[in-house]
Amino acid sequence: MIRIETYEQALFETIKRGATEISPDVREAFVAAIDREADPDARKGLEATLRSMDMSAVRRNPLCVDTGWPIFYFKVGNECRLEGGLMGLEEAARRAVAECTRLGFLRSTMKHPLTGYDPGNNIGANIPDFTYKFVEGDSIELSYAAKGGGSECFGGTRHRIVAFADGVKGIEKFVVDCFTASARAGAVCPPSVLGVGIGGTANVAANLAKEAACLRRIGSSNPDPMFAAIERDLYGALNSLGIGILGSGGSTSVLAVNVEYAYTHIAGIAVATSTNCMVARRASSRIDADGTVTRMDAPMWFGDR
Amino acid sequence: MAEFHLEGPLSEEDVTRLQIGDTVYISGRVFTCRSRLQRYVFDEGHPLNFDISGRNILIHNGPIVVRENGAWRLVSFMPTSSIRFEKWGARSVRDWNLRMIVGKTTMGPRTAEAMKERKCVHVSPRSVSPNLWIDSIEVEDVNLFDELGSIEAAWFFKVKDLGPFTVDIDCEGRNYFDRLDGQIDERKKDALGRLGIDESFEFTKLY
Repeated sequence: MIRIETYEQALFETIKRGATEISPDVREAFVAAIDREADPDARKGLEATLRSMDMSAVRRNPLCVDTGWPIFYFKVGNECRLEGGLMGLEEAARRAVAECTRLGFLRSTMKHPLTGYDPGNNIGANIPDFTYKFVEGDSIELSYAAKGGGSECFGGTRHRIVAFADGVKGIEKFVVDCFTASARAGAVCPPSVLGVGIGGTANVAANLAKEAACLRRIGSSNPDPMFAAIERDLYGALNSLGIGILGSGGSTSVLAVNVEYAYTHIAGIAVATSTNCMVARRASSRIDADGTVTRMDAPMWFGDR
Repeated sequence: MAEFHLEGPLSEEDVTRLQIGDTVYISGRVFTCRSRLQRYVFDEGHPLNFDISGRNILIHNGPIVVRENGAWRLVSFMPTSSIRFEKWGARSVRDWNLRMIVGKTTMGPRTAEAMKERKCVHVSPRSVSPNLWIDSIEVEDVNLFDELGSIEAAWFFKVKDLGPFTVDIDCEGRNYFDRLDGQIDERKKDALGRLGIDESFEFTKLY
């Protein structure tokens, strides 16, 4: 039985790490982007961003002032036993978000959609958001992602039903059109981690796109060669646009393109995009049945990627 | 493209010599807001009940500030997207006598027109680097904290060589990103070509 104190402490540490420490794969992608940057001003911007991100880990302050929507992904072993059950886990996650907000690791950013009421702790109706995946075993993996307002509000998240008649060309055209429009003047905070969901109902495609943007390890590929080819082709095409850091021009417009798919209806293909900002904040921890907590470098939400 | 270190309050000459693409660092007294303040004043008709004389630099921003031992401590700062302030942009420039707005992204044609008329510029960051900025910022005071909350309140900052920011709208109303957009659209045609999608491609209309 995993005790409440164990998972509450792990959730708190995971949120704090996600808010204040850049993930190793994101850092590696940043270093590679600096190396290949041809525009001197863009290079300075990337270097300044990386320097600030490294300082956040030492100062223990947020990587970006917009600490985003708090989102949790729980990969639960089928035999995992939690004191208080999954409802207890969600309650602990809400308490940990409130505590991280009180301590300044998160900004109080969540508001009532109509009145603008600010509860001051990032807790409200349907927020934080929880997504579950059930797997074999008796451990649990906790992932926290911060979805920034820029990356979510300015056209980075969209969907369209593409006809089978238009196929891969239709899918890729939609993605290129969306990304180009949303990165104008740096609105979605490029270089982005671009998630693409293909298939399912619109919400399934949108969820896959968000998970691909927020959780996939940068540098991983979809194991299906057809989808890996779409990832590779879009990565090349989008990085030839010259959008650069915060849309001011430069060699890198996307740090990664991650595609995930679901079977779809014969009538059409839902295609969704989700951009994650350059800071791509997330953190994960695993808790084993004996209560051992292990820090994970990447969420591994999609198996080994 | 030149680099300027400017001291606020800014004069007309300070900003009319700036051109799109120039780099600026700012010092002096500034104030901040998010869109809630502009809605509060321009849509809801509340008076601006604090004195902005001596401050003609506005930063669109919702900082993280905590109260510790009776003093404000700035935890994080990053300019926020200006484009969603467009509805009130021209009015802010005119009513608040602004010479500079600092924000991420840019602003639209109506604000650019007001900037041209009143000699004001918009500048934007080229990095997400709160830690390189917070040491240049001293929190002086806060206004409308109870009414708007800590994120939406209007903060008074004293800044020293805060930057670099790129001029993206100059006093002629020219926009740096419009120019870049033309280049990106050209490259987009080539990018689509590489994917085997020619210019005649049309989506099958489903609805």
